[in-house]
Amino acid sequence: MLAFVKRFSLKRTKHPRGYEDPQVLASETPFTVNEIEALHNLFKKLSTSIINDGLIHKEEFLLALFRNSSMQNLFADRVFYMFDRKRNGVIEFGEFVRSLSIFHPHTPEHEKSSFMFKLYDLDGTGFIQRHELKKMVGALLSETDLGLSEECIEAIVEQTMVEVDTNKDGKIDEEEWKELVAKNPSILKNMTLPYLKEVTLAFPSFVLDSEVDD
Amino acid sequence: MNRQKVQRRVGKYEVGRTIGQGNSAKVRFGKNTETGESVALKILDKQNLHKNMMPKQIRREISTMKLINHPNVVRLYEVLASKTKIYIVLEFATGGDLYGKISKLRQLPDGRLKEDEARRYFQQLINAVDYCHSRGVYHRDLKPENLLLDAQGNLKVSDFGLSALSRQAGAYLDLAGDGLLHTTCGTPNYVAPEVLNDQGYDGATADLWSCGVILFLLLAGHLPFEDYNIMMLYKKIIGAEYSCPAWLSPGAKNLIVRILDPNPMTRIKIPEILEDAWFKKDYKPAVFEEQDEAKLDDVEAAFKDSEEHHVTENNEEQPTSMNAFELISMSRALDLGNFLKKKRCASKTNNAYGLKREIRFAAIGAANELVQKIEAASKPLGFDIQKNSYKMRLEKANAGRKGTLKVATEIFQVSPTLHMVEVRKTKGDTLEFHKFYKKLSTTLNDVVWKSDDTSDKTTNERKTDSCL
Repeated sequence: MLAFVKRFSLKRTKHPRGYEDPQVLASETPFTVNEIEALHNLFKKLSTSIINDGLIHKEEFLLALFRNSSMQNLFADRVFYMFDRKRNGVIEFGEFVRSLSIFHPHTPEHEKSSFMFKLYDLDGTGFIQRHELKKMVGALLSETDLGLSEECIEAIVEQTMVEVDTNKDGKIDEEEWKELVAKNPSILKNMTLPYLKEVTLAFPSFVLDSEVDD
Repeated sequence: MNRQKVQRRVGKYEVGRTIGQGNSAKVRFGKNTETGESVALKILDKQNLHKNMMPKQIRREISTMKLINHPNVVRLYEVLASKTKIYIVLEFATGGDLYGKISKLRQLPDGRLKEDEARRYFQQLINAVDYCHSRGVYHRDLKPENLLLDAQGNLKVSDFGLSALSRQAGAYLDLAGDGLLHTTCGTPNYVAPEVLNDQGYDGATADLWSCGVILFLLLAGHLPFEDYNIMMLYKKIIGAEYSCPAWLSPGAKNLIVRILDPNPMTRIKIPEILEDAWFKKDYKPAVFEEQDEAKLDDVEAAFKDSEEHHVTENNEEQPTSMNAFELISMSRALDLGNFLKKKRCASKTNNAYGLKREIRFAAIGAANELVQKIEAASKPLGFDIQKNSYKMRLEKANAGRKGTLKVATEIFQVSPTLHMVEVRKTKGDTLEFHKFYKKLSTTLNDVVWKSDDTSDKTTNERKTDSCL
């Protein structure tokens, strides 16, 4: 059915690869059809900024986040990876909408929490391991130009492991993660974008239009 | 605008302003919400207490203090513990302390207490010390800062039995070891020679020595043993090298000499003081009723660290700590709002923050230093500042076209010397907010490293060698 819709719409409107019918996406996400259309406008901007093929490539993604397409950033890589559900190296429109829907204010917390856990599970083992946490702390600190000694990073990681790894097996499982999130809801702060509720309202100016001023 | 103040509470006590700050303890004003009675809350960090610093003796003394209801002793009502802190609930003395009184007098020419007044304080001090000693409680840290005054000007000795909590073990030993004055411990001006020698000492005679130093101070207006060089100070104390002002009455001089006897064995004892002619003048023994029942299990429980006894506290003395995940979540890549928000001209690199309403940056240094620096940076800009430990609210009227600019800041602790500072616009013009932030970050230049944009590499990269 989905494939049919996809092929159908592709034929009719010459939508690029990965385009999906807003009706279908609206039925699967908290977005309305109008909102999905608004998101499509955003997607078009993002996906044509470097390569005009209607797919968001890594460079385009980085350009949107950092205004720098060659930026090296572990977290950007991870977010891209999470958005690229088919793992084919590009973000298609359907992937874009479904992934963004997790950031919708109406999406249940456990979905947000689970998304974030997978994002931090760098090696995909089903656990956030100590070395992964350390790698991420290191990445964040280098992002902030904050030179900290190895011992200092180690101390930050150790403190958190003691706090979170309650069964003391050296890694954080999903249960421990859930407890952590319950205690520190601010960890999920980034997982909710209030803007998504008013995507159509915001539309005229929220697109990546560098000339638009308020 | 009427802003509701966050009410801090510990158990049944409302916690108010800080009224005293010692080396390892803070004293806050408190109010018993059941009775409306004012109290003083002495707050100690559990981590500052040595694991083995709470021997039975100390716990027993604190328990005994709960039983003591003497007019010249600050009452100890109860002991509470939370996960990280111990709260000692004490009687609130409204008249300040003797130290303050002496300091004020000292600013006047020939400023000192009259002999009769000094005697009255000393009599009350001896009353308190005598009574506590008779119950087996020793002070070990008697000094004018611990001598409080009530509304009627009566002396009340504070911190009986508590000194071991607030003083680091071996502090004096350390002093003797390297000859340097460690800023973390108090001055040893009031300490008896046998304590300095660390040969094991009797709490009763050592307390008396301190009473002698206090009596000297009350009468002479200055300390008997003073020296900038700590080793010299030691030498003077151990040798009891001091000289009485010529104008001291012979009776007073005689008593001082008997108390400031470096040999604890021959030093005068309290019963002899009570018989001393100078002391006895106008002497009134304390009149009070003894209390024989008190609930004591709280003391044991508080120090035993059993969680079931923890009181709830809704305010931390420390900045809110930030764990590694909260730290990570500050990554710019994880804020997908960057996709969606309006952006100003991207080519203007000096406008590096995309006009966010909230900026966070990392800063190295102690949290209270950062608070001071933010304060120092904002004041000249015309901001009104409200502080609530590590949260601040800044307000500037007529800051821009949207009127009053309101900014909230908070400091989060990542490690003792690494903090995250959050600066958030709560009201007003965003452009004005960014102007403010720029000025703030320039002022904080020596502590701030974070720049939000890759194109902005003007801040220096620095290495810190350790977390502590």
